[in-house]
Amino acid sequence: MAQLSRILLALLRMAAQAAGIVVIVFLLCRIAPGDAVDRLALEGGLTSAEETALRHEMGLDQPILVDLLTWSAHALAGDFGQSLRYGRPVADMLATALPTTLTLAAGSFVVGLLLAMGLAVSAAVTGNRVLALTVNLVNVWSIALPTFCVGVVAILVFSVWLGWLPVIGALAMPIVIIGIDNAGQIGKPLLEELREATTSAHVRTARAKGLGRPRIAVFHLLPTALPVALALSGLVLAGLVAGTLTMEILFGLPGLGSLMLNAIHGRDYPVVQAAITVVAVALVVINAVIDIIHHAVDPRLAR
Amino acid sequence: MTKPFVRLDRRQMMIGTAAAALLASAPLAAAQDAAPNHGGVLNYATLGLDTSDPHRHTGSIAVQQLYVEALTSIGPDGRVEPFLAERWDVSEDGKTYTFTLRDGVTFHNGDPLDADAVVANIERVRNNVTGGWLASAMKLVESVEATDPRTVVLTMSEPYAPLVNLMSELWIVSPASKGWDATIETPIGTGPFMFGEWKPQVSLTAPAFAHYWRGEDLPYLSAVEVNLREDIDKANALRAGDLDIVNVGRDVARRLAQDPAIRTSTLKDSTWYFVSFNNRSPRPPFDDPKVREAVMHAIDKQAFMNFLAPETGVLSNQMVMPGHVYFDEAIAAADAYPQADLEKTKALLEEAGVDPSEITIDLVSWQENYPQVVVQMLRQAGFNVKHSALDDLGAQNRLGQYDWDVAVMASGPRADIFLRYVRLMSDGPNPVLWGGIQDAELDRLIKAAVAETDEAARKTLYSEAFQRVLDNDYFMVLGHAPNAIAMREAVKGYEPGFTWSPNWVSGGIAQTFLIED
Repeated sequence: MAQLSRILLALLRMAAQAAGIVVIVFLLCRIAPGDAVDRLALEGGLTSAEETALRHEMGLDQPILVDLLTWSAHALAGDFGQSLRYGRPVADMLATALPTTLTLAAGSFVVGLLLAMGLAVSAAVTGNRVLALTVNLVNVWSIALPTFCVGVVAILVFSVWLGWLPVIGALAMPIVIIGIDNAGQIGKPLLEELREATTSAHVRTARAKGLGRPRIAVFHLLPTALPVALALSGLVLAGLVAGTLTMEILFGLPGLGSLMLNAIHGRDYPVVQAAITVVAVALVVINAVIDIIHHAVDPRLAR
Repeated sequence: MTKPFVRLDRRQMMIGTAAAALLASAPLAAAQDAAPNHGGVLNYATLGLDTSDPHRHTGSIAVQQLYVEALTSIGPDGRVEPFLAERWDVSEDGKTYTFTLRDGVTFHNGDPLDADAVVANIERVRNNVTGGWLASAMKLVESVEATDPRTVVLTMSEPYAPLVNLMSELWIVSPASKGWDATIETPIGTGPFMFGEWKPQVSLTAPAFAHYWRGEDLPYLSAVEVNLREDIDKANALRAGDLDIVNVGRDVARRLAQDPAIRTSTLKDSTWYFVSFNNRSPRPPFDDPKVREAVMHAIDKQAFMNFLAPETGVLSNQMVMPGHVYFDEAIAAADAYPQADLEKTKALLEEAGVDPSEITIDLVSWQENYPQVVVQMLRQAGFNVKHSALDDLGAQNRLGQYDWDVAVMASGPRADIFLRYVRLMSDGPNPVLWGGIQDAELDRLIKAAVAETDEAARKTLYSEAFQRVLDNDYFMVLGHAPNAIAMREAVKGYEPGFTWSPNWVSGGIAQTFLIED
């Protein structure tokens, strides 16, 4: 019962957070100078009377509050409206962009998690100093080198000099780059946690029983480290939003980040709102889910 | 070691430009040496594509010219050339235009191009399109009819000289195109390439049209793959061979020119840079001609152009550059601001009773580096400057509020000189960059030029109009520089045209081919 009410509470908090983000984004969009009609006027085709008429036609002359309520009502029904710039349904544009972003985010998360777990667990189990050093190196790398810097150098080396990958549209490179970044954030704390676990009573007992190293690693060490890995994953997933955005732009990937940036440049409010709403909701949901799983796997938290 | 700063005088810069133009035309001759190759996909990335409806374009009008063509096109020298119309006749009174269509042109769906289709296009633009350069011209169309399958007679309510040039941007689309009655979704044109698959902001695949009217052989390429992604690293993609023709900034072009596998060139028309005053509601003391002149005397055009485009820049105090048919030598010779003169600035301000240290100039620009040069020059003259560097839409909006003093701006290539002057008219489209001039006499002069059918007399009227701009200190032209285009050496037979269009009757993408590199 307590469990259920806690989950419900988490869901409620989640909804409130998402709603707050949507409202803030909505206001920010309107505060930014310029609108979609200004874009049409940029090349010099509109008289001021035509501009006024177009603003009316696009509903840009509505009070913010009316606009917000109308939009929210439609959005809840799954209708994000039409792009002001392209005249296409926003939902279609999101559907085209989402797979790229999801692939990038999921791919780099998996790469990061596998790399971090692999390195940290083998370092902890074997006590190998080179492996431990690698974990530290990856950690320092992720702190010191922003992904967009690594991206620029990677493009130069692998695309321009070596010609192995295209400059525009390569998914593998950003996945690996963000993956390493994620591994750096997860690997080091995980290794610390594992080291502590290797000295714990149940691992010493396992060793005394004569169990093999792989078995100790999988059945005794990993479960102890799981809550830590989960908590770190939550942080990493949140960071992925920013990480994928810059990578998408750098590598010319037509994902949510590129869509959002172009829409902001074009003051294409419906697209900006919809894209940010999707990201915000995804983030909040991820956090809530991680929170729930965290409670499930770590009995200490339930107390 | 720092490089010595080279100061070029105007003549040197002009010579430089002439040399650049000569160099630019040389590769075309070189390209003829290689025998045209059939096949291959060319990767092209310059401007974007906002809409699939060629009549509703919002200014990004490079890409669509792969698949749609117009009655006329603008040649590399800026002169109008026959395109889908093989000739035209203008009546004595300058009101009636008779276009004779080229024989043997077919749309991508196999239908022949006829006069009825052209009339339908003109009527569609006149009746359905709001805004855009053409809309105002089309309002002056009294009647348009097809007198026989190859003849279109267009009658204007008043003489309108820019019409033939402007027709180069009235794209002829088959009325059978899907979405004709609302928004065209699949444009069926007559161009060398067809509208294939369009992924907005990502790509457009344009396969070759087998029955293109300019001959069995053309186009040479089997397709053009247009990259529409914004904010991509075009220079590196070009170096890596992922893209073949791109537009780049001038500084990037300079760097790319070092690469033997890359050739750089420029559009043949220029982008021009200027400093304008708020002319709609100037705030004191900028309503005082003496203060305006003081500001202009503080600006060093040569230093500005040296910063902006040391190789390709050219000084000019007019909206066109030397060599252009509408360039006026007399106005150039009488330039009141050939170089900065801070003494004059000081004297004029004293005369006006203005202490620059007590004045804050509210200056608006885009987020570019060149406005900084002007800002520093104004500061050097003793003014305080509050500089708002805004993105394109932010600036557009801000300028329209007319709550600023000075703007540092630029304006790109145009199919006709009128498109530069129309922005200076009281009811002109988007006049904000030039401070929203309201001047009935200037309007009258521009209108007279537009109505004048004789080219020499028209030039005189345009010059008179520009003299009025100078006399009233509306804005100050700093100079001209063309936009840079870079392409791989493997691209042959291509040389950028006058505007952003990649396709015109005497050159362009139809006769471009790729060789192995």
